[in-house]
Amino acid sequence: MALLETHGLTKSFGALTAVNAVSLGIEAGTLHSIIGPNGAGKTTLFNLLTGTFPPSGGRVSLAGKDITGTPAHRIAHLGLSRSFQRTNVFPAFSLLDNVWMSAFATAKSWSGLLWRRADRYPEAIERARAALADVGLADKAEQQAREISHGEQRQLELAIALAAAPRVLLLDEPAAGLSPEETRKMVALVRTLKGRYTIVLIEHKMDIIMNVSDRISVMHFGALIAEGTPAEIQRNPEVRRAYLGGMAA
Amino acid sequence: MRAAVLILASICVLPLIVRPAIASEIWIFAIFGLGLNLLLGYTGLLSFGQSTFFGSAAYVAGYLLKYYGIGVFAALGVGVGIGAVSALLVGYLCVQRSGLYFIMLTFALNQLFYFIAYQWTSVTGGEDGMPGIPRPALFGVDLRDPLHYYVLVSAIFLLSLWLMKRIVESPLGRILQAIRENEVRAEAVGYHAPRFKLLAFVLGGAFSGAAGVLYAMLFGIVPLESIGFVFSGNVVFATLIGGSGSLYGPIIGSFVFIWLSESMSVMWARWPLLLGVAFVIVVLFFRGGVVEAWSRVWRYSKRTA
Repeated sequence: MALLETHGLTKSFGALTAVNAVSLGIEAGTLHSIIGPNGAGKTTLFNLLTGTFPPSGGRVSLAGKDITGTPAHRIAHLGLSRSFQRTNVFPAFSLLDNVWMSAFATAKSWSGLLWRRADRYPEAIERARAALADVGLADKAEQQAREISHGEQRQLELAIALAAAPRVLLLDEPAAGLSPEETRKMVALVRTLKGRYTIVLIEHKMDIIMNVSDRISVMHFGALIAEGTPAEIQRNPEVRRAYLGGMAA
Repeated sequence: MRAAVLILASICVLPLIVRPAIASEIWIFAIFGLGLNLLLGYTGLLSFGQSTFFGSAAYVAGYLLKYYGIGVFAALGVGVGIGAVSALLVGYLCVQRSGLYFIMLTFALNQLFYFIAYQWTSVTGGEDGMPGIPRPALFGVDLRDPLHYYVLVSAIFLLSLWLMKRIVESPLGRILQAIRENEVRAEAVGYHAPRFKLLAFVLGGAFSGAAGVLYAMLFGIVPLESIGFVFSGNVVFATLIGGSGSLYGPIIGSFVFIWLSESMSVMWARWPLLLGVAFVIVVLFFRGGVVEAWSRVWRYSKRTA
């Protein structure tokens, strides 16, 4: 049984069906990519998995437990942690505090919530520092999030997701808006996380996907049109048509 | 540390400069501002209805003081409780919405409470207010002496400030700021924003309630204005002038606001004009209020020195 599964997951916005009967199985410990042209419904799929809005139909289950429609603020506590396509951090906070928010949220206990000083939670701080170190931002821990570069903000985005110590890590285009050099660094970073976490990766830069993924699912117009290993996907004629023929195919 | 010394010094010096009653009013209004600022400064929620909690607490505790002869601490306890409970009711409705709708809800519910107090004349005295609130003796000390009462108010203020400092430095304080900074991300990392906003309301309401009771005992009356929207606006004004970005902003704001209103209103009936000008200057040039203005002057003098 797959760790994270969807069955016939569907989301309609009025007449538009953004996600259409998607059935996916993410095996524990793998890096599973979801690719597809812009507007294929990849981010909407993530939003359904993480409770940003409820699906119109279908089910989501995590480790066999039905989690369909669980609101966003509960999702992190179940072990699903996401990064956002558009950088979404706490700008006036230090990097450490940004990551701390995530580490504390998923800590075993919130005792002293109103009383103990926020900097007297050694476990949360340690987890936060470890997450910053994982993405290579340890030496900037005290800087404000609004002061660092776009590339570093993308790394911070990832660190916030990591600090929740998730069972499944959902990464929404971690390389969005990065220069080729920064993209290479990000790919290397994702590669180091591979194996340590179960990862679902959304990306539309093919070159990133092909050499880092264990499995790939291809979305087009809201539906899954193919699934397989990178080699299989590269040979798949339908995928070629979807990509090369663009939206008109 | 420096702030603590400065505040202690102010508490000692203030009654030598202004009448003890005004000095008391400054610290009472500061407690009120501390409660508001948990919402305004830390959570980024503009509540235009804080006098709901202030006034409700003042009426209920005032009634019990007047007709049941309860003690000072009992009255304060009742005030904190009523402030918290009324804030729970109001907050529960308000946190369902955000932005402009949130502000209008706090305002509308404030008006609702105001008109209840206005109409329920048999209890509240309506327009005339609820006079005859006693100041019972505490541990044999006669609190009717303005200076004695000032000492009590100062002590409660210090306690409030210490409690608020603990709250804003706790994980809760940080979560509230995270919600202010980015509510979507705060939800995504696992905090249910409405729940925490409600908690901020309740805590802020408790502080407002304590302030309301002290206010009623200070003037011996619960005036109808104490639950009115002008009062709600005043505490927002004072906090913004002082600086909503800092724990100490509302205290400075209260000082400026009460001092201006008490000293200028005797000399010049149109003194609120000055307040208006001060407010415009703050909004245009010093968004962080007096606190920011001060730190800029401080940095500038250091650079030129």
